[in-house]
Amino acid sequence: MNSFEEIQSKWNDQDKIKAPKDGFKSLMKRIEEIKNKQKITNGVLLATVLVLGGFFFYISGYNNHQVILGLLLMIGSLIIRVVIELLSIKKLQRINRSMDNTLFKQELTKYYNKRRIIHIVITPLIVLFYAIGFVILLPLFKVNLSASFYTYILASSVLTLLILGLFIAKQIKKELEDLRILKDSQ
Amino acid sequence: MKEKEEIFENIYHSNYDKVMRICLGYTAGNNDEAGDLTQEVFIKVWSSLNEFRNESKMATWIYRITVNTCLTRLRKLKKKVKNYDVESVIDVPQENETIDKEIMYEGLYNCINKLSETNRAIILLELEGLPQKEIAEVIGIKHEAIRTRIHRIKNELIKCVNNE
Repeated sequence: MNSFEEIQSKWNDQDKIKAPKDGFKSLMKRIEEIKNKQKITNGVLLATVLVLGGFFFYISGYNNHQVILGLLLMIGSLIIRVVIELLSIKKLQRINRSMDNTLFKQELTKYYNKRRIIHIVITPLIVLFYAIGFVILLPLFKVNLSASFYTYILASSVLTLLILGLFIAKQIKKELEDLRILKDSQ
Repeated sequence: MKEKEEIFENIYHSNYDKVMRICLGYTAGNNDEAGDLTQEVFIKVWSSLNEFRNESKMATWIYRITVNTCLTRLRKLKKKVKNYDVESVIDVPQENETIDKEIMYEGLYNCINKLSETNRAIILLELEGLPQKEIAEVIGIKHEAIRTRIHRIKNELIKCVNNE
């Protein structure tokens, strides 16, 4: 192919791609699934908050300042992290995809820059507050739980923190790569 | 709701071909990947349908959503396309002519895939026959700038296709 006209003619020669037979049906099904998934996520979040709140009253935690502080730090940091994540997902979905490509890239770059701040500043602070809350509750666990269960909680929490750390690091790496690709794509 | 669904079904069938071809350009000709991407594009079309104003043509509007959606999936696509083996699509005995044709298209798609993201979008829209004024609207670059840029990309593409 020595000229663009030849490339163009080959391009035009491609067979017409027809939409799959039940393509539209499965597309509408997928749209419905996405809506349901959002409803389920909201339901799960609400249930978690209710269970944690219920647990707090069940153990009469409001009588003990140490329990209040520890639980507030742990639950609060978890809720803040989840809310930030949900707002971020919504924000990404709400970026208007019908704007021109140059503007869209600028919006996307802004979004990833904000995400970088969340990952580098806010997430470590949240993990720190969560860990402080846990440490505050540890003496109470030691008094109220059996030695083996206490050891289990201690070990599993360290493991969870490590896995969570790795997961967050992976996510940060992915999003920084997105930002780099976006900057290289001009 | 029913009326919106009918309008959407119409848009889906009359634009599927265009969207799929652009997506194929982003996936180096990988049909499955392009199919997934096309589905994502139409999900966005559905959710933005109420925002469509007749300020631009429907096709231009859909092309904007298509190139922007492909952009959000660049990292994922880069990874998959890298692992995509041209030979794997020709594992069943076929007529020589068909094989030649497939290899030729694979070469073309791979060359398109080597271009920068913006250049890739521009040349795919040019190949699809979109007027340059509308390409400028989709990309967000001035009409005069698009003309010179297209000329440069065409040369780059010809060189790549001829393995220069």
